[in-house]
This record gives sequence, C-alpha cells and structure tokens, in this order.
Amino acid sequence: MIRLSVLIYLLSLACFAFFTFAFVDIHLFYLRNLYTGLYLTHRLELSAVFTLLVAVLFGCFYIFITNSDKLKHLTNKLVLLVVAAAIIAYPAALTFDIFNYMTTAKVVYQYHENPYVIYPLEFVGEPNLLFTRATNKLALYGPFWILLTAIPYFLGFGNFILTLFSFKAFIALFYLATVYLIRKMDRNAVIFFALNPLVVVETLVSSHNDIVMVFFALLAVYFIKLDKVSSIVAFVGSVLIKFSTAFLIPVYLLSFFSKLKSERIYAYSAISMLVIFALSPIREELYPWYAIWFIAFTAFLNKNKFLQTLVLVFSFGLMLRYIPYIATGNYFGPTPIIRNALMILPVLIFLISIWLKRYFPSRL
Amino acid sequence: MRRYFFIIIIIVFLYLSNNSVTFASSNYVLPYPSAMPGSFVYKLELVKEYLMSYWYFGDFGQFKYNLQESDKYLVEAKTLFDYKQYLLGYQALTNSDQYFEKIRPSLISAQNHNKDISEKLSILKEAALKHIEELNKMRKNVPETFVWSPEKRKPSNLNLGWLILNSIKIRGQVL
Repeated sequence: MIRLSVLIYLLSLACFAFFTFAFVDIHLFYLRNLYTGLYLTHRLELSAVFTLLVAVLFGCFYIFITNSDKLKHLTNKLVLLVVAAAIIAYPAALTFDIFNYMTTAKVVYQYHENPYVIYPLEFVGEPNLLFTRATNKLALYGPFWILLTAIPYFLGFGNFILTLFSFKAFIALFYLATVYLIRKMDRNAVIFFALNPLVVVETLVSSHNDIVMVFFALLAVYFIKLDKVSSIVAFVGSVLIKFSTAFLIPVYLLSFFSKLKSERIYAYSAISMLVIFALSPIREELYPWYAIWFIAFTAFLNKNKFLQTLVLVFSFGLMLRYIPYIATGNYFGPTPIIRNALMILPVLIFLISIWLKRYFPSRL
Repeated sequence: MRRYFFIIIIIVFLYLSNNSVTFASSNYVLPYPSAMPGSFVYKLELVKEYLMSYWYFGDFGQFKYNLQESDKYLVEAKTLFDYKQYLLGYQALTNSDQYFEKIRPSLISAQNHNKDISEKLSILKEAALKHIEELNKMRKNVPETFVWSPEKRKPSNLNLGWLILNSIKIRGQVL
C-alpha cells in the first residue's frame, strides 16, 4: 500500500510538472516553443486535471502521514525524487512571483538601481515587463532576499531560461536545507513538511521564497540553545527576507530568555505564524503559499494528530483556491467567493465528520 | 443707444478676458510645503535628505532624488517668500537650483548605461515648466533686491530678482 502510494504520488507530481506547461504565458517569448494557449482555450479541462492531481497528491500524503513509520527509511530518496520531479515544472503556472524575483534582481544587479525607490516599470523597453506582474510596485521583499538573489541571478549568465531555472534550483536548495534541518531537529517531523503537496507545489513548482524565510526562522530556533549569536543572525536574516517572521519576535524573545520546552516553542511559533497568515488579507489576500509559514512549525507537533490532519485538510482547501482562477481566468466576479468556499469546505467536512464520529461512534 | 452700450460691454469683456498674462502651464504636481527652517523637524529633514542621497543610488534614483529635492526647496522658497523671509527663501531657492542642475547629468549617465530616458525627459520638461510657472508668480510678489540686516553684522544685499531670473534660466535649459 505505502509503496503504491509513493509511486502514485511521484507519478502525479511528474504529471503536475508536465501539466504546468499548459500555462506558459503568451508574452513569454523566451519559451514561445512551449506555448500551447491551453490556459486560454481549455480552462475547464485544466481545472479538472488540476483538481484531480491535487486530490491524488493529498490522498497519498494522507497515507504517508498515517503510515509514517513505514516510510521513514524511504524519506531521503523520496525527498530527492520529489525535487527531481517538481523542479522541471514551469514555475509561473499558478503565480508569477518568480518573474518578480528575477526582475527585481535585474533592477539591482543589471541596472544598478535601488528596487525600493525605482519601479521595474520605469525601465522602458525592458523585455521582462512583458510577462512580469506587479511591475508598478516597488520591491516587495526584504533586503536580505534581494542580496541572496545575486547568486541565482549571476548564475544565469544573462540568459533568461538559465536564470529562471537557477532561481528554481536556488529555492530547491533551500527546500532541501529546510528538510535537512527539520530532520536534525526532529526526524518524525520530516514527512509532514517535506511531502505536503502544498509545500512541494508552492516551493518546488512555483518557487516561492517563503521557504528561504522559513529556513532561517527554523535555523534561529535550532541555534537558540546551542549558539545564541548564530540564532540572532539567523532570525534577523529570516525577518529581512519577508518580514512575516517578525511576528515570531515575542515567541523568540520568550524562548531566548527562558528555558521554554522545544514543543512549546513550536506550538507558539505555529500559532504566531497562523495569526499573521490569517491577517494577510488586510495587506493583500490569503495566498496558499503563506501556509508554509505555519506548516513548518506544525510539523513538529506530531503528537497532536488531530491538529496535523486539520492542517493537511486546510492545505488541501488552500490548493483548491486556484480552481476558480484556472477555470475563469480572472480574479473578479464570483471568483473570490468560490475561492473562499473551496478553501473552507474541506475543513468544514473534516470537522463535521470528527464531530459525527465523536457523538455517533457506533454508527460510523 | 442700447446697441452701443451692448457693444461697449462686449469690448470691455474681451479686453478684460485677454488682459491676464498666461504662462506656460504644466500638469506636474509640486509637493506640499515641508517643515520650515528653524523647527526641530527641519533639522531632522536635513539629516534625512543627506541619508536619502545614498539611498537613491543609481542613475534613475539620482534623477528622482534631485527632482524631489528641487521641488521641495522650490515650494519652501515660495512659502518663505510669501512670509517675507527673504534670506531663508533665497537660500531655499539656491538649493532648489543646485538640485535641479544635477538632474540632467543623472539622465546623461543613464543614457550612457543604455537606459531609455524618454519618459524621464518628459517628466523633467513638465517639472521645468511647472517650476517656471511658479517662479514667474514669485517674481511678481518678491522685491528685486532686499537688504538683509542681521544683528551685529554688516547688512548684505540679496539680489532676489536676479536669483529668480537665474532659476528660470536654469529650468529653461532643459526645455
């Protein structure tokens, strides 16, 4: 059973990676040979395929976490295979953030301008403007992230496709580093984080930099009892990537100055990140990849199976948020309502089923 | 008789409607007046101004910074002249001129770095037109010269008329 689910999971992931190429942007002339236009002509079919693949991935993932003991010996290989399957995916199928990272890096390292004062839009004739979104916004991320992007930017040697995949590889390295770190902190937490389809898709397919922020936050927690200076440096680094981990400051200070148990640190951190996640619509909207912030800490709370299953179900709901956009191609009209309904629905079904099981144990 | 009266009214109306001098106008928007010299906030603004000169690195960054500062000091000069603070207004307008003169070199540098400066040039022209519009208004309300007599020091003559004309000349060079 477990081997079969591993096989199905990997195959589904490879299919997902293949599926993402249906979304190659019409304006992305660098990949014009891969352009199919399917995302414009076959919206409903694509939403159906997406739903199916996500459902299968989460189904397998549920089997993984309920049989985690049987999977332990396979974890390393599985993680590497997951990276191999997902890294080839087109990263802008669900979001366009990777283009934003690349264009911001270009503003700094090619044009030698401050991305916090100069908009990408100001570079008339810049080819990236054709397919980069939010070019009318100043740099959205922290200075440490912009500094780090020098690595994939220069490894791209000025070639767009090479730069695109060096950004993907760079994010993938942080995924592997985070998995390694989690393994060092608690071996039992690896599967819940590393194989969560939301984490895999948002990190290895869409290449969101949240994983980098989370890595440094976990590094800060890891060092908190071993090396205070390294811990502080890692924590500041994390905050200077995306600022969200600033919400961990109270927990961090509490654990820094008191002998707080590791489990408590993880629990409080998960709650703090869940709070900032829930508040994110105030700033913009609830993006599925923000869930990585609290999933990373929830992974350590493996004694609480109910909580972990709830997070799994919520992760599934968050992935379903993409369906209305894939189906309609816009963010307006009924899309926001349907998106929220799809996000909440799995959680409600799960909670009702738990309630029914509790009150009518004999009948279910 | 009524007909003549009517014609006279039309002639007077036409004369009055053409009597006001129309300067070249621009849609460019100048900022609100910032803190004024003498206040503590103004000192902080000076520190910020110095730090921002580094924050706005790069050709376009320097373009933006110098234009912003030139705008700020122009508005400051206008406000100070309105309150007859001629020495401070004189200094503010001199600062505005200095910043304005730095804008064009930053664009030349951008062009040398293969950046398209067409949009920036049109912004600069709009800004220059707006500055000239404001400077022409200032000319009407500010005396040609003003003798500044500080306590326990020799009085000095501020050639305000010349300064404003020179400021117009500096802006005119980019049109």
